Amino acid sequence: MTDPHPDPDDDQLERSIRQIGADLASAFPSSARHPLRSLDARAMDFASADQELKAALFRFVDVTPACRSLDDLARHLREFLREVPEAPPPLAAAMRIADVKAARPAVGAAAAAGVRHMAHRFIIGETPASALGVLSDLWHHGVASSVDLLGEATVTQPEADRYAARCDEALRELARAEAGWPSRDVLERDSIGAIPRTNVSVKISALTPLLRPDAPELGRRDAAERLRPLLRRADALGAHIHIDMESLDSREAVFDLVLDVFSEEEFARGPSAGMVLQAYLRDSPEQLERILAWAAESGRTPPLTVRLVKGAYWDHELVQATQHGWPAPVFEVKAECDRNFEALTRRLLEARPAVRIAVASHNLRSVAHAIAYNRMIGGEDRDLELQVLRGLGDQLQDALASRGFRVRTYCPVGDLVAGMAYLVRRLLENTSNESFLHEQARGTSLDVLLAAP
Amino acid sequence: MSTLPAFANEPVLELRRAPVRAQLQDAMDALSPKLPLRVPVMIGSGERTGAELLSTDPGEPGRVVAVSTRATEDDVAAAVQEAERGLRTWRALPAAKRASALIRAAAWLRERRLEVAALEVRECAKPWPEADGDVCEAIDFLEYYARSAIELDAGPDLLQVPGERNDMHYAPRGVAAVISPWNFPLAIPCGMTSAALVTGNAVVLKPAEQSPGCAHVLVRALRAGGVPASAISLVAGEGDVGAALVAHPSVHTIAFTGSLPVGLEITAAAGTVAPGQNHIKRVVSELGGKNCVIVDSDADLDDAVPAIVSSAFVYAGQKCSAAARVLVHDAIADQLIERVAGAARVLVVGQADELATDVPPVIERSAQERVNRYAALAREQGRIVARVEAVPDRGWFCPPTVAIELPRDSPVLNEEIFGPLLAIDRVRDVEDACDIVDGLPYALTGGLFARDPATVRYVRQRTPVGNLYVNRGITGAMVGRQPFGGNRLSGTGSKAGGPDYLRQFVEPHVVTENTMRHGLVV
Ligand SMILES: Cc1cc2nc3c(=O)[nH]c(=O)nc-3n(C[C@H](O)[C@H](O)[C@H](O)COP(=O)(O)OP(=O)(O)OC[C@H]3O[C@@H](n4cnc5c(N)ncnc54)[C@H](O)[C@@H]3O)c2cc1C
Repeated sequence: MTDPHPDPDDDQLERSIRQIGADLASAFPSSARHPLRSLDARAMDFASADQELKAALFRFVDVTPACRSLDDLARHLREFLREVPEAPPPLAAAMRIADVKAARPAVGAAAAAGVRHMAHRFIIGETPASALGVLSDLWHHGVASSVDLLGEATVTQPEADRYAARCDEALRELARAEAGWPSRDVLERDSIGAIPRTNVSVKISALTPLLRPDAPELGRRDAAERLRPLLRRADALGAHIHIDMESLDSREAVFDLVLDVFSEEEFARGPSAGMVLQAYLRDSPEQLERILAWAAESGRTPPLTVRLVKGAYWDHELVQATQHGWPAPVFEVKAECDRNFEALTRRLLEARPAVRIAVASHNLRSVAHAIAYNRMIGGEDRDLELQVLRGLGDQLQDALASRGFRVRTYCPVGDLVAGMAYLVRRLLENTSNESFLHEQARGTSLDVLLAAP
Repeated sequence: MSTLPAFANEPVLELRRAPVRAQLQDAMDALSPKLPLRVPVMIGSGERTGAELLSTDPGEPGRVVAVSTRATEDDVAAAVQEAERGLRTWRALPAAKRASALIRAAAWLRERRLEVAALEVRECAKPWPEADGDVCEAIDFLEYYARSAIELDAGPDLLQVPGERNDMHYAPRGVAAVISPWNFPLAIPCGMTSAALVTGNAVVLKPAEQSPGCAHVLVRALRAGGVPASAISLVAGEGDVGAALVAHPSVHTIAFTGSLPVGLEITAAAGTVAPGQNHIKRVVSELGGKNCVIVDSDADLDDAVPAIVSSAFVYAGQKCSAAARVLVHDAIADQLIERVAGAARVLVVGQADELATDVPPVIERSAQERVNRYAALAREQGRIVARVEAVPDRGWFCPPTVAIELPRDSPVLNEEIFGPLLAIDRVRDVEDACDIVDGLPYALTGGLFARDPATVRYVRQRTPVGNLYVNRGITGAMVGRQPFGGNRLSGTGSKAGGPDYLRQFVEPHVVTENTMRHGLVV
């Protein structure tokens, strides 16, 4: 069988990846080269080294918004730390203090401040209005954004309505404010056409309480009812709506919903929209073929933006499959996931202009590969969008912006209660032994970091 | 047989994948032309066919699923006699031989998984995922008890001193009567029956009159696996058949899963020693529950709400383990009530064969009437915060209901309802909640949502329940992972699917041999 595309010249590609990677690394803000020394970074270092401590810390962060008083908070902290066999000296001291009743409010206050500090790194504000300052700063530094409204799980219809209303409000509020920003050609145009400034990421699971893994139609129909008005709003405002992907339990509903709704006559010309492909899923190549076949057939304009990610629910997917005796739906070897990510990147880059592509990764190798391959096949830099998460990809974001790439930062907005599930996922990602960020923070050499997976 | 691979639970269908779901309709299509099934009385190799007992689809009561023979008193006597005969050869087999019959029965079921699940969908209105889970659980019991029996057969290690040899082993008790319910129409009779069989007992099975079709499948599976016909008989019928079986002087063990009143009757009847009866009957029972979920103020409601709603309403609340009552800390009660009520309002009430169905019909008209009576009482004594009135007009459907503000002595809060009715009750704190749980006659399952490890320790230590689930739903015990069974009036504390279950069906024998002969150790 012959490959429809010429085999890439591997050596040339690898050389180019190394060059681009090294150049980006040299553009990292200087603080990154001396590893971060903020308090929470150090706490994370501690935590990555010791599984029990990590569990205690996560459980504490997780329960913080549910605690009724500082006293209650301190009591929880003490109980979690009690389960760590050998607490490092500073924590042992905290535990002793938390044992003294009178001292508990002080310990509670300190701990609460710690968690808030951590949360601020990842969550840019409690409401879209309060987030505008950060968003505008980013824009002025050459960085686009996508706003994600954090929320508690949707289990009732009023909760779904409230989430939809918040999305609608965010669209309007952001569009109004962003209209006043100066123009930035890199961020607003690719060779297909205009790219909206206002960009909101939406979770289907928040738009309906009826998502059932075994009966996806029900939730899909209900969510579509709330999605359509948002699409109309986005279209009217010239905004972009991006549908996030969640765990595999809802994948079918989300996938079918996206392809169905964007096949509807009303949305054949807009708004600008996108979906997500998770490269950690073993069946992601088939899913991508489905998207591409759909794109070819529907001919929708503007084309869907496919955001390629590795996937944020890796541990969950593996645990769930193991508990049920199902084959793992995700790759279990990190390098296989990374290789698949690169294969999907190439397929997507080659599929333009039927789709737009956004590569969302903090892995310098994965990002450099996308840039290098795009150039190798004659693509323009502006036809490849790069995306990072606020708080995890800040340095990469700056580096990419400084080199003239279009980079978009995903910016969660919400209060601490609503944001907890998100925050814990990010901390998990940050402390995972297999993550690129962890490797990088440990001081692994650039050569190793940029090597082919 | 020592080469059996380690036990692993039979994986349930991955129904989140469309191609897997597509198989279900095929299975139903394959079953439909075979309905109604014919279920004879099966005594040894003999069969007697009649048509007195009809089991119907609870969602479509006009649809007859199985036409069964109702056993007579003579049938019961003949079945017990056959069991006594069959016992002699069956008990004499090595444990490993008996175990391999179970393994083959499991394989027989595995080959017919979907069709058997389809039968459960029709006969008991088990929604597909539940029906599939039940078939898997039946397979698990067979596989698990096969392994347990081999282990048990080795006997424990006793202290040995020079000059004597001490040996302890377990012998079957004799004829076992198994009286099973309809709510897990394959797994529960399978668990009780296979445990009795694999330890060398002979069994007479009296299944619930609502689900003889599923019981018939079980008997066929066991016989196909190599259990001799004389060791497993089937006598379908109503309460009188069970009563005759319990009263029979040649029955040694009665394994019963069902309601408390019937369980107590059985216990009383089994206590009577008939003339000529040379043994005390043992009753292994698994009875009702009034299962409470405690929600502390630090609980994560995103987890608690869906878990509570599914524990209460899946299979229309007709699981012994189902959540009946929530005990929620005052500080978050308003929020929890609002969210549980809202989540209950979106429950889909529908036919068991539709995957979108959350709440299927209850088993029969009398069950529907009972649940409706309690719902009316809840309305009178308290406040209804959610009720899904949109239910199909045929079939024994009950609107899923959430009630609050009930007086603490309300029957709604204290009696087993066995239907889609959930009561939420405010408590001062976890201690208050534990006092309430402690005051209930039942002690089957319980739940706790709390994140402070000290609270978890406290509830663990105080709760009388047989199965406590922390920060998850309270149904869905898995063989080998959550040995299942209740305490107090919920049962005799035997744990199905656990390491000691088989001991209920055996009696220990100890043999001590003098190995000294003229000062010589031989
Ligand atoms: C802008 C943006 C939007 C996003 N939107 C979504 C979304 O909608 N849905 C979603 O699921 N995720 C989303 N993500 C999150 C994303 O999935 C994670 O941030 C990402 O997986 C981290 O990968 P990386 O390439 O940055 O880092 P790397 O360190 O290279 O990769 C880490 C990832 O590899 C995978 N992995 C870890 N261990 C193994 C292993 N042993 N075997 C195989 N694979 C392994 C996991 O996916 C893990 O997250 C988004 C990320 C960004 C930047």
